[in-house]
Amino acid sequence: MEIPSGENLTVGMLYELMWDKLCLESVNGSTGHDRKVLSPDISRPGMALTGYLHKFLHERIQIFGETEISYLQSLSEREREEALRNIFRFPVYCCIVTKGLAPPGQLVELCTSKSAALFRSRRDTTPLIHDLCGFLETVFAPSTNLYGTLVEVYGAGLLCTGKSAIGKSEAVLGLIERGHHLIADDRVHVKKIGNSLVGSGDPGMAHRMEIRGLGLVDVSAFYGIRAVKSRQQIHLEVNLKEWSRENQEFDRTGLFQKVSTILDIPIPKIVIPVLPGRNLTLLLEVAVMNYLLLQNGRNVPEEVERELIGRILAKESGTGNPRHRHTGGGIEDRKH
Amino acid sequence: MKTESTKVVNKLGIHARPAAQIVKTASKFDSDIELTVDGITVNAKSIMGVMTLAACRGTEVRVTARGKDEDEAVDALIKLLESGFGED
Repeated sequence: MEIPSGENLTVGMLYELMWDKLCLESVNGSTGHDRKVLSPDISRPGMALTGYLHKFLHERIQIFGETEISYLQSLSEREREEALRNIFRFPVYCCIVTKGLAPPGQLVELCTSKSAALFRSRRDTTPLIHDLCGFLETVFAPSTNLYGTLVEVYGAGLLCTGKSAIGKSEAVLGLIERGHHLIADDRVHVKKIGNSLVGSGDPGMAHRMEIRGLGLVDVSAFYGIRAVKSRQQIHLEVNLKEWSRENQEFDRTGLFQKVSTILDIPIPKIVIPVLPGRNLTLLLEVAVMNYLLLQNGRNVPEEVERELIGRILAKESGTGNPRHRHTGGGIEDRKH
Repeated sequence: MKTESTKVVNKLGIHARPAAQIVKTASKFDSDIELTVDGITVNAKSIMGVMTLAACRGTEVRVTARGKDEDEAVDALIKLLESGFGED
């Protein structure tokens, strides 16, 4: 099942996607499964059960852990009924009882009569909350759709963008041929998860891509499961741009790092001029290797710049053989 | 063919950043453009070539262009060299 976006997530979808991981068991059948999950956060209703209903977070999934259940058990039947009725004055839509505890009879009745889903899980409360919140965070994460192709190259997520017909898909097909992995072609769904961007494709398109002149091809049918991936963090963007004499914005040294901002997260952007006869696949692969090298602390353009400035200054002052002179310094004095 | 000479004026000479400005400017023109420093001639559209000059302040640089826009090309490059690339 495709992971829905936050505004579409129903309790039923949550159950279908997470019952396995969260060990959920439905207590009242499919009651409340059509109701929407309204928040990526959860609520522990302990305080509300004691009668403090100010700021009761009813739009959240309610987690009944050992605290809540043992408190309810400590009450008389009438008090228990009242405590639960209090919180069900609000539009509670989903309750989960954890640690394999038995939900009190009144909770089952109220959930059913108020069309709220009730689940139980044998898992401990805190780890269940962690997994549930992790899932909800993903679902409710800000997202966008980008026009481009996402491919994993040596572990890095490469978003290849550029005008239609510039050769993105062909270049990426070349990457797959060389053992890299396709995530999505043409339309990439991007989610902001924490401080990273995670891209995935349209499940309906399932790793098919269009190659101009050939039409639609199925990458996983050609190369098998090893060639495809369902999601990938995006590390850098390579923008393919038509080369023209007038437009000389391309970085000739690599000293001028461009940035692309997606969902408020900046990632390095490299603009590659496209000319007939250029091997785009190779260029994309090298762009990623260069990125990985940079991540590893090797900034080759800056190294060249430092050495060159050292040589120039040595020449100017006329000291020794410039090639063997220590080449540190120089660039540190400059403002970038 | 058009030729003109000038001197490098900025403190750090033609290091990588100025070299990038030179090749970008040169690449806008159709003409073949060369830079000559201390008897060494390189293609002004080649970053590697321009960097190997390692021209320091005070060095004379000769700009030579051949082609239909040679006048504009030489003017633009001389202006760029004399501007000191926006550096000290």
